[in-house]
Amino acid sequence: MSAIARSARPPRTGLGASYDERSAFVLILPLAGVLLAVAVFPILYSFYVSLFSLKLTRPQRVPFVWFDNYAAVFADPQFWDAVQRTVAFSVIAVVAISVLALLVALLLNEDFPGRRVLSAVLLIPWAIPYVANALMWKWIYDSNYGALNGLLYQLDFINSYMVWLGDADKTLPLIANAFVWKEVPLATILLLVGLKTIPSDLYAAAKVDGANIVQRLFHVTLPALAPSFALVIVYETMMAIRHFDLFFILTEGGPGNASDVVAWRVYVETFRNLSFGTGAAMSYILALTTLALSYIVLRTLARRI
Amino acid sequence: MKAAALPVASARSVQHYRAPSRLGRVARGALLAIAAILFLAYILAPMAWLVSSSFQSEHEIVSKPPHWLPHEPTLENFAAIFAAPDQSVTYETRRATDPASGGFIPSTAKNLLPAIGNSMIVASAVVLLNLLVGVPAAYAMAKIRFRGRQVSIYGILATRVIPDIALVVPFFLFIRNLGLLDNLWSLIITYLAITIPFSVFILISYFESLPDDLDKAARVDGCSRWQTLTKVYLPLSLPSVVAVVLFSFLSSWNEFLLALMFTQTPKSQTLPIVVASFTSDFTISFSFINAAGVLAIIPPVVLALLFERYIVSGLTAGAVKG
Repeated sequence: MSAIARSARPPRTGLGASYDERSAFVLILPLAGVLLAVAVFPILYSFYVSLFSLKLTRPQRVPFVWFDNYAAVFADPQFWDAVQRTVAFSVIAVVAISVLALLVALLLNEDFPGRRVLSAVLLIPWAIPYVANALMWKWIYDSNYGALNGLLYQLDFINSYMVWLGDADKTLPLIANAFVWKEVPLATILLLVGLKTIPSDLYAAAKVDGANIVQRLFHVTLPALAPSFALVIVYETMMAIRHFDLFFILTEGGPGNASDVVAWRVYVETFRNLSFGTGAAMSYILALTTLALSYIVLRTLARRI
Repeated sequence: MKAAALPVASARSVQHYRAPSRLGRVARGALLAIAAILFLAYILAPMAWLVSSSFQSEHEIVSKPPHWLPHEPTLENFAAIFAAPDQSVTYETRRATDPASGGFIPSTAKNLLPAIGNSMIVASAVVLLNLLVGVPAAYAMAKIRFRGRQVSIYGILATRVIPDIALVVPFFLFIRNLGLLDNLWSLIITYLAITIPFSVFILISYFESLPDDLDKAARVDGCSRWQTLTKVYLPLSLPSVVAVVLFSFLSSWNEFLLALMFTQTPKSQTLPIVVASFTSDFTISFSFINAAGVLAIIPPVVLALLFERYIVSGLTAGAVKG
């Protein structure tokens, strides 16, 4: 009897919370605690820090400076150069990721022997650490003994070994290439989901209407993939503008300033110049920029729950 | 005739109606084969070069043109890593077979094994905490209707998109004030924060796909909310739990930026940090660094190949519902 009584709509308690609401509260409490302490608090604290002139080289005096740190960042030509490089890096990377991921997704959407093996292999770049990825490309790009020089030389594309990462004009595209290799798998998987949702009668109808394979790609596949593409582009842009690991290991912002992007600037300002106030201001600017983009991703994800 | 007007089942027969010619089939097969080979080369060739050079000696690795496959494969790089803790490497004890390019082992090699241990401890703790904290919360959000549910889901997703680079300053000050710099707990706490939103997201999507009737039936049978979760839903949600374990393990194993800030000595340094420190040391041969890199990628590669299905379903969580 008691079981039936409990299953009925529980009576409201004095606080206005039902049994369900109280149990939900208890079950969510640990998560809420973790997120408030280690995500919400830091991001608010970051804003607070960004209003002070906090330099670890001068720990005794921490004056409140309102928005001076932001003004200083915006007035710094180095910052705007870094913004330009970040945009260039992101555009190269996102365009390459989208094109390659589309090709791979079209391949893996076909039915052929060995498709499952390829799908498993696809996950490898996604799974390995960025540090290993960076190390791998650093060694491939090595100007003395690297594979890129060796291969191009053996194929007679170059007459003598060349400098790769050390060449200011080539640095950003080469770093982008390493980034693309690691990011294509996730983008492919997101596009594959989109491809699977295209009803097969659309293709059948197009075939009956005499559309060839290229026409089917442009008039059936690509329009239907638009939402997945939007997700891929926005997500990968977010990843690209915040990316740090490759810049740290491959070039440390060099040669000169050739790969000095905003994420690298934040690190240098904070941990090399020990200027936490401006570092926080810069990282806040970066966070707000991604926030606008992430709103689009959030809306897509939240709709799925 | 419009195919859309046909019953779904006959869509295939329409395709057969215009069966491609023999030439078309051959062309399709050839095209797919070429694409598959290009794809495999793109993914595997860079890694093959990493693995190949990790089996070359310091002497062989500087060949011009490079030896794509080791002519004299050697395990000395790996042996050095695993032997390192016992022998302290000095200038005298380094093997001087060839003074210019002998098998030089950096003194920091002995940090690698402890770093692997640290990475394992941190990743396992993060996985465990993800499940302990994430599963109850996800169940509550998926199956209990309460005020503020939608806001909570948005809140959790929002924390997921904060860039880690934007958290470096507050995290650093926070961890320093707690006195946890150079302590594994600093990594466990922060990794939990960056992995849990996605874990909860995967779990919510999965719980949502399970019928609500299970919940009602269990409650009628007298289960409390906690019992409903542990005895009814949890056993059914194994795929999503596996996905959560994989994602939180891989994220923790691979994380670099936060570990770079919080760890200072081999006591707490994780594998990515030690490997990265090799790459900035010009005295260390790439043959040795690559061996360390191979060790760093073995667990992720094995997990990716074994659990491909779970990973893909996690990455696309909820996408099928459109």
